[in-house]
Amino acid sequence: MSKVLSIAWKDTQVRFASRSEILFFLLLPILFTALIGQFSSGQADADRRVAVLVVNQDGGPLATDLIDTINSSTAIRAEVLDASEAARRFDDRDAPALLTIPAGFEAALRSGEPVELAMETDATNLNSLVAEQGVRAAAGVVGRPLAAALLSVDQAEQVRPFAGDAERIAFFDSSLAAARTLTASAPVRVEATSAVESDDASWNGYAFASSGQLIIWTLIPLLGTAAIFAFERETGTLQRLLTTATRKSTYLSGVVTGQLGMGLVQMAILVGFGALAFKINWGDKPAALAVVLVAFGLAAVAMGVMLGTLVRSSRQASGVSIMLGMTLGLLGGCMWPLEFFPPAVQRIVHLVPTTWAMEALTDISMRGAGLPQVMPNIAVLLGFAALFFVLGVWRFRYE
Amino acid sequence: MSKLFIIGFKDLRVMFRDRAALILMLAAPFVLTLGLGLVTGGFNQSTGAVSNIPVVVVNNDDGMLGQSLANLFASAELNDLFDVTREPDAAAARRLVDEGTTAAAVLIPAGFTGSIIPDSQTGQSGDLVRVEVYRDPGRPVSSGVAQAVVESFISQVETGRIGGQIAVEQLLASGAILPADIPQVVQTMSQGPAGQADRDIIQVRNTATDAAGPNEIDPMAFLAPGMAMLFLMYTVSLGGRSILDERREGTLARMLSTPTRGSQVLTGKTFGIYFVGVAQMMILIVVSSLLFRLDWGDPLAVFVLVLSIVAGAAGWGLLLAAVAKTPSQVSSVGMAMALLFGLIGGSFFGGTITGPLGTLSKITPNSWGQDGFAMLARGDSLVDLLPVIAALWIMCFVLVGVAVAIFNRKGMLQR
Repeated sequence: MSKVLSIAWKDTQVRFASRSEILFFLLLPILFTALIGQFSSGQADADRRVAVLVVNQDGGPLATDLIDTINSSTAIRAEVLDASEAARRFDDRDAPALLTIPAGFEAALRSGEPVELAMETDATNLNSLVAEQGVRAAAGVVGRPLAAALLSVDQAEQVRPFAGDAERIAFFDSSLAAARTLTASAPVRVEATSAVESDDASWNGYAFASSGQLIIWTLIPLLGTAAIFAFERETGTLQRLLTTATRKSTYLSGVVTGQLGMGLVQMAILVGFGALAFKINWGDKPAALAVVLVAFGLAAVAMGVMLGTLVRSSRQASGVSIMLGMTLGLLGGCMWPLEFFPPAVQRIVHLVPTTWAMEALTDISMRGAGLPQVMPNIAVLLGFAALFFVLGVWRFRYE
Repeated sequence: MSKLFIIGFKDLRVMFRDRAALILMLAAPFVLTLGLGLVTGGFNQSTGAVSNIPVVVVNNDDGMLGQSLANLFASAELNDLFDVTREPDAAAARRLVDEGTTAAAVLIPAGFTGSIIPDSQTGQSGDLVRVEVYRDPGRPVSSGVAQAVVESFISQVETGRIGGQIAVEQLLASGAILPADIPQVVQTMSQGPAGQADRDIIQVRNTATDAAGPNEIDPMAFLAPGMAMLFLMYTVSLGGRSILDERREGTLARMLSTPTRGSQVLTGKTFGIYFVGVAQMMILIVVSSLLFRLDWGDPLAVFVLVLSIVAGAAGWGLLLAAVAKTPSQVSSVGMAMALLFGLIGGSFFGGTITGPLGTLSKITPNSWGQDGFAMLARGDSLVDLLPVIAALWIMCFVLVGVAVAIFNRKGMLQR
């Protein structure tokens, strides 16, 4: 046992011999979590709302009403500019959307004519979807009393035709005033609920970012276990071990213990930091979280052991572990939520362990799941661990 | 001049023979681009938007509105957007959401229709009941779409209710009808056309997506160069590292013992970093455009943009080499820089970062490059691209200038 621990301690010392390791162990994971958390929860505060450039060619009260409604949104805000300045800012990609309220907007609506607002969005900016949905919602809010007033005119006409245009216009105006009052006081008929409630609007984004980044930043060094084998082969220390009474299983256990231990410490620090700094709710079932993290750590380190039997040099191993770590993170939904993937791909990505780990962490942190709910994920992760260990140990050679 | 190119091409050859380096220079961005193609649906040319959202609908309302809402989710119009299942039991539906099987449960309570449409006999509507959208917090976008559909439906219903109510009130007030006529009037109205309630009086037309048609912009057109630029930053740090490696291994001293000045060696090494970067970017661009059938825009403009991006990046690589003490320091800080620049420069997720971080991102070639590729994807020309190109070359000259000053102060290139 002492041999296993000695090897583990030696690997820990080697890893932290360079101060720059702290960059990858702690600083970058925390920085990435903070930044991605902020992107993912863009609605967290007013300043981060998506800007929509607005050219107001009409200037009437209804146009002002529309701009005010956009500004009252939690997702978007209006920046009213003249046409040339707005076009310049849009071309400079300062904002993902440019909305033009045409001259005659007010007059057309008052006469019951539908009006079309031209909106240009920057398809290369992922926020353009948010901007478009926000503007459509605002148009709906402003349009609803108008539509109700027009409907009222239509329906009144079915019962009794108007004597002339003057009577029709008067009927519309009073209907619009009444519709505004009624719309403002209309009861809320939709209620959105979820299993886990939180007062903090930024909670979801940070929980997602923290889970995803935790997986990627611990996976890469655990895959890097491969580099330890390659390094020891290059420097000849592995062959030197042959001259001592150390069995292959002892050596491998030592390396795995050291790497897994460092991985778990890193995970614990990131979980703790997320809870303290980003107020992430990791659930009230610490046992579930702990077991998921250990199972994921085992699967990742086992993958590193297997990788160690395939690479030729430590530099190659480092490159491959970064490439694999980032790719598996991407496929596992750690960079972008799985819900954005095409349906068939959502099923395919269950072939990689990161998907199972990410799902389990999402279940715990966002759906309030406990050990029984994440048991299938834990079983699959342990299955991956067993498979990779068997392959790795079977193929392992000292030289 | 020939000496500069000899040194530059020597570095290019050395780098492309190094299999370990090729993993991060070419294989990693290529594999990640493939992954991106898979997760964004880039292979089948779909837009990658959210689709087939699993939703469960529970309708306990026996009136027409509950039925209409339930039918709306199953309608042909929303067929691609939702995978709908019907479920009689609200508790079972919530369980499906809790388990992560469905993104949202739409729970229509008994008495929903009666709470909005007045009874034809009494003229009264029932107590307020609410449609509940039970959302999976793990799928905020998908469940948000389901909620938006319910809200839009309710909005139309509400418009109809208010329109009808106002019509009746106004007709009554003007004396056109009597209170006793109300049931008959309501009956007439409900049989008439729904009019404006069925369409938006203020319509929003997205000219970009309407006009796009066959030229629709593929998200891969800016995500693929993002990945290439992410690893370009790593490549330039490797180039910087080679200067320190040559000093450590003594080949730098040997070069300086020949009739070659320090400035020539440094320029040659900078050419080396530059050639490798350009080769890397062009290989990735050509391969990914063949693979994804991407239209990057004007080929000449793309090439000029690549030359400029690599210039900006090479400046960073050289500065890193000037500041660092050991080759391994260049590698680790270079990797950290590549990742950080990628994150704030938009290489990972696209989009424009606002606020102080957005300003800070302008120090990265990634941010300018991302802007440039997006402009080209939108159909802009080389002339439109000039400010971006100028910014990148200014970045290059400033960084190289600072790096040279540091090299001179350290006396690294003296014989």
